[in-house]
Amino acid sequence: MAKEMDKKREVQVISRNQVDLCRLLKAEAKPLAVAGHSINRLDDMLKVTGKLKYAGDYDHQGFLHGKILRSPHPHALIRSINTDKARQLEGVVAVLTAADVPGRNLFGAAMPDQPVICGDKVRFIGDGVALVAAETEKIANQALRLIEVEYEALPAVFDPREAIREDAPKIHANGNLLSLNKVRKGDVEAGFAQADVIMERTYQVPMQDHAYIEPDVIMAIPQPNGGMLVEGPMQAPFLTRKNLAPVLGIPMNKVRVRQIHMGGGFGGKEDSPIDLGCRAAVLAQHTGRPVKMSLEREELMIQTSKRHPMIMEIKIGAKKDGTLVAFKGILWDEQGAYASLGPKVPPAGGCHVHAMMMMPGPYEIPNCYVDAYLCYTNHPYGGAMRGFGAPQVHVAHEQLMDELAAELGMDPVDIRRKNGFKLGSATATGQVLDQSVGLMDTLEACAEAFDWGGRVKQAGYIDKHKTKRRGVGVGMGWYRTSIGTGFDACGANVHVNEDGSVLLYSGITEMGQGAFTVLPQICAEELGVKLEDVRLVQPDTDLVPESGPTVGSRSTTLMGNAIIMAARQVKESLLEMASELLLVPTSRIEFVDGKVYDRDNPERKLSFREVTSKCWFTGKRMIGQGWWAPPMASMNPETGQGSPYFVYSYSTHMVQVVVDVETGEVELEDYVAVFDVGKAINPKAVEGQIEGGVAMGIGYALMEAVALSGGMIRNLSLQDYLIPTMLDVPDMKPIILPGYNELGPYGAKGVGEMCNIPAAPAILNAIANACGGRVRSLPADPEAVFLAIREAGGPPDA
Amino acid sequence: MGDMKLSFKVNGKGVEISPPPGSVLADVLREDLGLTGTKVGCREGECGACTVLLDGVPVNSCLLPARKVAGREVTTIEGLEKQDGTLDRLQQSFMDAGASQCGFCTPGMILTAKALLDKNPNPDEGEIRHALSGVLCRCTGYRKVMQAVLELGRRGESGS
Repeated sequence: MAKEMDKKREVQVISRNQVDLCRLLKAEAKPLAVAGHSINRLDDMLKVTGKLKYAGDYDHQGFLHGKILRSPHPHALIRSINTDKARQLEGVVAVLTAADVPGRNLFGAAMPDQPVICGDKVRFIGDGVALVAAETEKIANQALRLIEVEYEALPAVFDPREAIREDAPKIHANGNLLSLNKVRKGDVEAGFAQADVIMERTYQVPMQDHAYIEPDVIMAIPQPNGGMLVEGPMQAPFLTRKNLAPVLGIPMNKVRVRQIHMGGGFGGKEDSPIDLGCRAAVLAQHTGRPVKMSLEREELMIQTSKRHPMIMEIKIGAKKDGTLVAFKGILWDEQGAYASLGPKVPPAGGCHVHAMMMMPGPYEIPNCYVDAYLCYTNHPYGGAMRGFGAPQVHVAHEQLMDELAAELGMDPVDIRRKNGFKLGSATATGQVLDQSVGLMDTLEACAEAFDWGGRVKQAGYIDKHKTKRRGVGVGMGWYRTSIGTGFDACGANVHVNEDGSVLLYSGITEMGQGAFTVLPQICAEELGVKLEDVRLVQPDTDLVPESGPTVGSRSTTLMGNAIIMAARQVKESLLEMASELLLVPTSRIEFVDGKVYDRDNPERKLSFREVTSKCWFTGKRMIGQGWWAPPMASMNPETGQGSPYFVYSYSTHMVQVVVDVETGEVELEDYVAVFDVGKAINPKAVEGQIEGGVAMGIGYALMEAVALSGGMIRNLSLQDYLIPTMLDVPDMKPIILPGYNELGPYGAKGVGEMCNIPAAPAILNAIANACGGRVRSLPADPEAVFLAIREAGGPPDA
Repeated sequence: MGDMKLSFKVNGKGVEISPPPGSVLADVLREDLGLTGTKVGCREGECGACTVLLDGVPVNSCLLPARKVAGREVTTIEGLEKQDGTLDRLQQSFMDAGASQCGFCTPGMILTAKALLDKNPNPDEGEIRHALSGVLCRCTGYRKVMQAVLELGRRGESGS
């Protein structure tokens, strides 16, 4: 069915003229009063004073504590479970096994394939085989130890290439190949036939953890109407509700999901609240009591989603002058035990499809061929993590670009200049980029701010003992704004009260990115009120319209458009009212900064409050609703051709490093990152995204990897799973270019994920430039750098 | 349970409580005293979110046995705001610099920075990096945290 729908769409180039809403959204030429300004975050005061309540800070008096008994095996059959002893422990209220799940015993963000409680089989060490609810957390933990489970261990598989062999242990009934997706553009063999140089390389990236600082907490509270309230830090309240309803066996209108401020998410809190929410809710429904379920750091390392590990085999062909002519890639994408957000969600959603379509990079290549395998293994599962498949493939194509440049004797910036996307370029999926393509601007601006031309000539030893060698590197990247499926649609409600204050209802969540400041900025701008007069309502599926998840760098742009539409709808009645009161036509009336006046005679004015008060008194409409979805995505399932996402952000990073050629240690000395994210609605918040994203990319490049061995994780604590500290992140210069997206609010595009994508390859390229060693399998920790130098035949001119 | 009395000062006020034996300071602050501004991120002394000041010195309250604070003075994030609502200059500086994103590490970060500035009113970048390296932040990349602290040092130097 989905395939047929896909076929019908074929390749389509998004035509701006066909999108009615674009005209509506086109920014007027007047200067912006609230949007576009670096305003302090509206929730800052609560954060710096410690008053902001995160889920773990709520009063849990009267709550039961839920705990999960997890599998000790990465793959095993469950022969028997005996819960008698656990049930008898004083303070234990319920011990549940698979048969106790009232509805569908499966959950999952994209497709439900993970049991709420495993009944017959476990597929990774994060699988739950029993749930306990007890009066205290301590008793719940004691009860877990009293549950007797008899397993029959099965052979397990941990490599995606091995997983799809015929003799591999079958993890799911339908086999281990979850998805094979393809890109077919042009004639790749004919392309290679024209090439003067052909290079083949394999790159590999490990599993990365989100390492958000706030551990997961979920509360499930049974409601008198037989429904369930679930609260907690989460990026996708509606997706959580969508899973809770069938698991509990009740309709969606009896499930209420409320989002609580997150202490970091980065994609991880898209899956984990579904997982914990379903489990806590089953316990709450069974016991009739509220249940709190929280994960300790070690538990969340085992149980929650991770960044997909990938193996990327690439062959690229170029002419002598650096012009790219053909690209062939095989992408081995390891899904782990469950589907999460890995597989394709038609027409163009899902992490795997995103990685596949980006694999050839932000380069115009006439002939592209990609086979992308997504395979189940018995490892923790891959979910959404900042960049959603893009950081992985950028590690490959950005290093390859440097390797190719070296082969051709070209400067790494020149080869990018030659092939990088420009206005009118066609991507690997045949999408013609017809607006807001600032990639080359970011490259030129970065080269200038960093002084690439000057610094690239200075690579060399910085000490007379020749132990430390300096080098520079560049990384370029692109990232979508949106998720490429129907649930990109965003709803917003704007309620204007009689006293002139405004309530903004949106389902977009706050995880630290600043949405709760940026969205009110857009609302205030459009209504012409002061920012402090807008209050954003905490997302609650009973109150706010469906907004899709807070992912895909989509919030500001997609929700921003919905808010503008909602504000304009309610403003129509405000304008009518003001026109009656001021006795001037609506076309002459301006709403700015809480004042309403005649443009031709500014002395004729009213306060916003006078207008709203009169509106209320005369029964005029005081609610506006906006609903915005981007132009429909398309992707042919056989050829991968189409327009999967409606607009992209672009960025170039340059970094200077010093490598100790004797120890392999890398020090970052300087960093410049330049962005085309369209119009920045809050430049200070955008800078914050950039700086944090770069730090996460530094971690990916140099130190982060979930250490897996036989399906177990060896680094379960933040002592062993290292993330960058203040000592690891250099001073950096974030630069936001003036950009404009015709389909975004005031010209905005996404930034949240774009920022971390080029960081790792820029660093890897700088390391190679400094010491001659190329690290093709991350992370580039001292050992890997040391070995790479040795492989290259020792440090240069030693 | 809870028969051992424990007296200490929190944010200038004396308290006497009877926490369960083996309690750590973070749990006493959060559960017995309702001071939930102190966050717990890892319970293993690695992330620094739970940092409070013990007699002015930053400590990981998730590891510190509660009995060790008997007779001593603990400062939590709730103690920085004056009774009239005036913020500590670090709190204002964090807001103006944009040094807080998700905010979960912010209390620990601000208290650690306060201990540094109390000892060294005009620290350089290296000193700030060294002092704050025990508090993990996954959101900010630390640059605006650095700016928030540096700015206060500079202001301190110019006497304003």
